[in-house]
Amino acid sequence: MNPLNSQPPSTRHWKDIPQQVRHRAMSSGGRRRVLLGVLKTAAIIGTLAALAWGGAGVAAALHEEAGPASPSGPAVPLHDLVLVTDGVLDQAWLARTLAVPKGTSLMALDLFQLRTRLLASGQVRAATLTRNFPATLAVTLTERLPVVRLQVQDAADGPRTLLVARDGTVYAGSGYDPQLTETLPWLAGVKLQRQGGAFLPVAGMEPVADLLAKAKLEAEPLYAAWRSVSLARLESDGEIEVGTKDAIKLIFATNEDFFRQLANLDAILDAARAQPEKVLREVNLAVGGQVPVAFDRPGPPVPPPTAAPASKGPLFTGFNPP
Amino acid sequence: MSSRTTFIGAVEIGTSKITALVGEYNGRELMIIGHGECPSRGVIKGAVVDYKAASECTHSALEQAERDAGERIELVFLAQTGGHLEGFYNEAAVNVVAADNMIGPADIRTVSELAKAKELPAGRMVVHHIRRPFRVDGRLVPGTPENLVGQQLTVGYWTVHGQEQRLADNIHVIRGFNLEVRELVLASLASGHMVTTQEERQHGVLAIDLGAGTTDYVLYRDGSPHTTGVVPVGGAHLTNDLSIGLRLTQSQAEKLKLRFGRAAVQCQDKGDKVWLDGNFSIGDRQFPRQAIEQITAERTRELLEVVKKKLGNAFTPETCAAGVVLTGGTAKLAGLAETAAKVFGVPAHLGETPTWVADNLRDPANHTALGLLYYGVSAQHERASTSRRRGGFLATFKRLFASA
Repeated sequence: MNPLNSQPPSTRHWKDIPQQVRHRAMSSGGRRRVLLGVLKTAAIIGTLAALAWGGAGVAAALHEEAGPASPSGPAVPLHDLVLVTDGVLDQAWLARTLAVPKGTSLMALDLFQLRTRLLASGQVRAATLTRNFPATLAVTLTERLPVVRLQVQDAADGPRTLLVARDGTVYAGSGYDPQLTETLPWLAGVKLQRQGGAFLPVAGMEPVADLLAKAKLEAEPLYAAWRSVSLARLESDGEIEVGTKDAIKLIFATNEDFFRQLANLDAILDAARAQPEKVLREVNLAVGGQVPVAFDRPGPPVPPPTAAPASKGPLFTGFNPP
Repeated sequence: MSSRTTFIGAVEIGTSKITALVGEYNGRELMIIGHGECPSRGVIKGAVVDYKAASECTHSALEQAERDAGERIELVFLAQTGGHLEGFYNEAAVNVVAADNMIGPADIRTVSELAKAKELPAGRMVVHHIRRPFRVDGRLVPGTPENLVGQQLTVGYWTVHGQEQRLADNIHVIRGFNLEVRELVLASLASGHMVTTQEERQHGVLAIDLGAGTTDYVLYRDGSPHTTGVVPVGGAHLTNDLSIGLRLTQSQAEKLKLRFGRAAVQCQDKGDKVWLDGNFSIGDRQFPRQAIEQITAERTRELLEVVKKKLGNAFTPETCAAGVVLTGGTAKLAGLAETAAKVFGVPAHLGETPTWVADNLRDPANHTALGLLYYGVSAQHERASTSRRRGGFLATFKRLFASA
């Protein structure tokens, strides 16, 4: 038998019998079932409609609640601003930043918006605003601490000094003691990027903050001489360059213990002081056990024309810290 | 069928009673949770002759079953019997298309379609296409022949067909209760599935369901149904014979049949008489026991011989090693197994209800309704898995999108 040449005849199956039945052919039980089916469908549709209506009502209520609430009694204007902070910001800064119009009632305040204003300063890490009825707004702040400072040149504002926190946040800083900010090293070797009206956080500030904190805590005299911190080699080599007031370049490794590196540095500086004829130019603490130290020859004597200038050829010596 | 719980109704519109069962099917297992019964009216020899009366009885049974289950039936498996049902065998063979003679799904599909494609006389409709095992180059294949190697693939179908109007009448009775008929199952297949085991079907077994108006039978060979048939004679005819022979009303004759009827004559004493009522009421009469037994035995033997004759060459004691299994309401007639064994020349026994069936459903008269549920569910399951297999990757995606 060749299946390709034979077209099978169509046979009728019992499933071809139409299952529709006229209403009059139904028994009372069947009609009851139809009625129940219709009622069930209607009930389901009704329930769904009720649920939808209820849902819409709840959504509308929530929407109303999200907006400014309309107090039922006479509104009391905001009277007190209470500030609790772990930093240096003061009441005046808070009032200036919140800029709440006079006569605004407590319930009319948009706390979310006010909080956004506080956080926009950069100095505030976290802010909690609480309505204390009848007329007090309590503000609790957690502030960032500056680690380094940097100088930016704005076309509009001219040069200005900004602060950088441990998490890389760049902010103007307000309320700090000038003696504190002036001791902060300058940050170098980074390119600031803008987003909107603010700067994006500086990447890699965590190890810098660790180094500076360790130096400030364990070797205060050393830290006092540090004038700049450069991140130029941080990403590529994992090294932090510190410039001192004596123009010595110190190179720290981020993957080594900062305490050990500071101890080495202290010993080297002590040893270098014992050789006043040499001027220390660079200490590289990022190499490991051996610490390369570069000296410049001091002194002005003009070298004879045949001799190579002493200041151009640094003498590299291997230095073993005690 | 999906994996959500479905409440399935199994309905047998019989000549003496209408049975409805409710099954709870969760995609893995089936539990019977409701049962309803109603004495039948408007049904003769399995055919609806009075739509209104038959509808009322059927709907009453369905309502009772729903009440018992506490759930609403969603769809119905309906048993089909009646003298209008006939069957024939048609076989087709195809040469395997692949060059390496490996049988593929297309070969199986083609040969199956050809074997089923036999034109029916006008007004006839297919009720079942029952496939017999495939043969590859004459070699019997119990399962699927896919991926076997051979040159010729052969398959045969036993096609059961019935009169369109009779089938429609039964379906409309159920539709009158606002229920969809999902499966129409031959009564013999339903009861046969219930009273025979897979092992018996593999060895060859004949299941005979003796109802009130009809006797349905199915002969299993090689694990699947081989031949089915319906004889429009049943227990009601025994009652009728007693009624005529002993000049009794139908109800009196029925009472005597149930109490003293036998499929094999046991009483040898012609003087042994039995009372019609036995309660000493006025008008109570005596009848010779031997006469009652002779009438019922003669008719029963004749009925079984008709079945054997209709089976023809399909039945031989050699191909029916597991013997004959008897079921249905009339199978409760004493001595039936002995008579069946004599007529067919093979061991015969009454079909046993599986142990997990509740006590109130253990009557042989319920085997068809019970089998309906199980046969219907397994048939649907098999059809669903076949269509899944045939669907392939693209069809799976289409189904996913359709269901989304």
